[in-house]
Amino acid sequence: MENFIEMLSQPLKEFWTGLVSFVPGFTAMFIIIAGGILISYLAKALFVKGLKAANFDSLCDRLGITAVIRKGDVWERPVELFGHIIYWFLIIIFVMIGLNALQIQTIDNLIAQFFVYLPRAFSALLILVIGYVIAGFLSRAILIAAVNNGYHYAKVLAEAVRLLLIVLILAMALEQLQVAPGIVVAAFSIIFSGIVLAIAIAFGVGGIDAAKKIIEKGSDEKKEDKGRDIEHI
Amino acid sequence: MSGEKFDILIGIASYNNAKTIGHVVRAVDAGLKKYFPDKKGVIVNSDGGSKDGTTDVVRSATIDHAAVFLSHPVYQIHRITMPYNGIPGKGSAFKAIFQKSVELGAEACCVVDADLRSITPEWIELLLSPVIKKGFDFVAPLYSRHKYDGTITNSIVYPMTRALYGKRLRQPIGGEFGFSGKLAEFYLKQDVWESHVARFGIDIWMTTEAVANNFKVCQTFLGAKLHDPKDPGADLADMLVQVVVTLFNLAEKHFEAWKGIKGSEDVPTFGFKYHVGLEPVKVNMERMLDIFRTGIRDLKPIWVDILGAGDFGEIEKIGSLDIKKFRFPSGLWAIIIYDYALAYHKKKMSPEHLIKSLVPMYLGRTASFVIEAENMDMAGADAEIEKLCMEFEQKKEYLINSIKGVQK
Repeated sequence: MENFIEMLSQPLKEFWTGLVSFVPGFTAMFIIIAGGILISYLAKALFVKGLKAANFDSLCDRLGITAVIRKGDVWERPVELFGHIIYWFLIIIFVMIGLNALQIQTIDNLIAQFFVYLPRAFSALLILVIGYVIAGFLSRAILIAAVNNGYHYAKVLAEAVRLLLIVLILAMALEQLQVAPGIVVAAFSIIFSGIVLAIAIAFGVGGIDAAKKIIEKGSDEKKEDKGRDIEHI
Repeated sequence: MSGEKFDILIGIASYNNAKTIGHVVRAVDAGLKKYFPDKKGVIVNSDGGSKDGTTDVVRSATIDHAAVFLSHPVYQIHRITMPYNGIPGKGSAFKAIFQKSVELGAEACCVVDADLRSITPEWIELLLSPVIKKGFDFVAPLYSRHKYDGTITNSIVYPMTRALYGKRLRQPIGGEFGFSGKLAEFYLKQDVWESHVARFGIDIWMTTEAVANNFKVCQTFLGAKLHDPKDPGADLADMLVQVVVTLFNLAEKHFEAWKGIKGSEDVPTFGFKYHVGLEPVKVNMERMLDIFRTGIRDLKPIWVDILGAGDFGEIEKIGSLDIKKFRFPSGLWAIIIYDYALAYHKKKMSPEHLIKSLVPMYLGRTASFVIEAENMDMAGADAEIEKLCMEFEQKKEYLINSIKGVQK
């Protein structure tokens, strides 16, 4: 009978022991996450205030970052958006730290891997954001310059440059994330070379008539060189 | 020459102008001796590192005094050639001239381009006398120019400067200016030498600062301005950026000074006005319209963002017109320039991209002006520019209200 009672109480004891050892960890996790939410909220408020004081919205407008954000159908001001990014980034960190307090081996391993991977993910994100802005800026510069020089394929050229840069940026980000690096490099080389070749052929073949016109126009202008050009200033 | 003081300083900014600068130096030298014989004068050549012997020509240029003058001047004219520091450009060269002016205690100064072919000794008298004899601080030039020339001046800079600051200075970016030593000192104190002012922006900056800060301004008629063909590498878009960014920047800076000004008034004008025969000008109308139409097709998202869909629709209609019927209305052009000023104020995109995106529309407007003025004489072309100026003045309230809206 005693054995039977022992058999019954043993799991309950073990459960109780487990519960007793789990509750402090769980409480710690709860406190860490709750505190983390509060800290994240305060950090976001401070961060947003600092960015507003530094006129970050205007800077983003000027650098074309706002336009890029709008393209993604996001209608918040850049300051608010970056505030949210910081908020959720801190929340994730605090959730990870909180889960760590549970002291469960599997979760601990996952968290360790997460923290090892975090710098890579962060730099990949940074490459994507900065790269996207630079691609947009260069593409617009090329578009305007090509239009001002009377180039009829200005938009195609600008889009081709944007595409090339985005392919390059994506490859860099994936390489940073260590996602099948060998395949990424090979795929990038193939795609990049393919696009360059396609552009070269397109402009080479398509530009024969244009080049002919330019040469003919140049010689015509030389023949009809009466008077000087307009002085704009 | 250390510590020596001078009454008059003439500045000549140069870069590879060996072919023309000799004539300019001789004209300046003769002008000083003929019209200001009792003043101590110095010619300062601020050079950007010429490799064609420009500075040697400045030092060696001589005039036959016996042939030119009946009497000897009291003072000899000194010449200084010096390299300037900073961003290569006309503005940096002028900064060095302002520094020299303050250093030498000059009472009156003027600056002339090194590539001038039509400068005569009278120009020196015309640019300096208003300062020395009438107490003006700033003398802007007035030239006889071909009706198609000076399109940035005629379609943007003059109408907008006049509408904003209320002074009818016809050539705000003429290139030749007279100014007092006091104004040179004021210019030198400004912290602008790392901006577009260091390059083509210098002319509009000098004029605007003089007007906005209530210095006494006037203009003087110099006759025809003929000079060496400009450097073909000097890109229209770059020139437009440097001038228009400086213009918009100054409009922002002096908003409080100009928002209350209504209409415009003539400024005192000196010199004897006459018409001269001018070189023919060739216009590549087809190319200008082609770039304008390409702009309508490819820059649509940028233009809609700056001007709004309504005004862009008007531009699209203009673009579809046949060359014979092609007209770019003055009122629409004034609104476009004000919308660009507003986009600059709102920092919608980088200033360089913003102003460069204006080039196709500027060429469209220029083409329209050329078509309209084709059979007009100078007076007729001037009347067209006057109409445009009135549009800028009438629509000034739109700009003021829009800026106030942004500030709220």
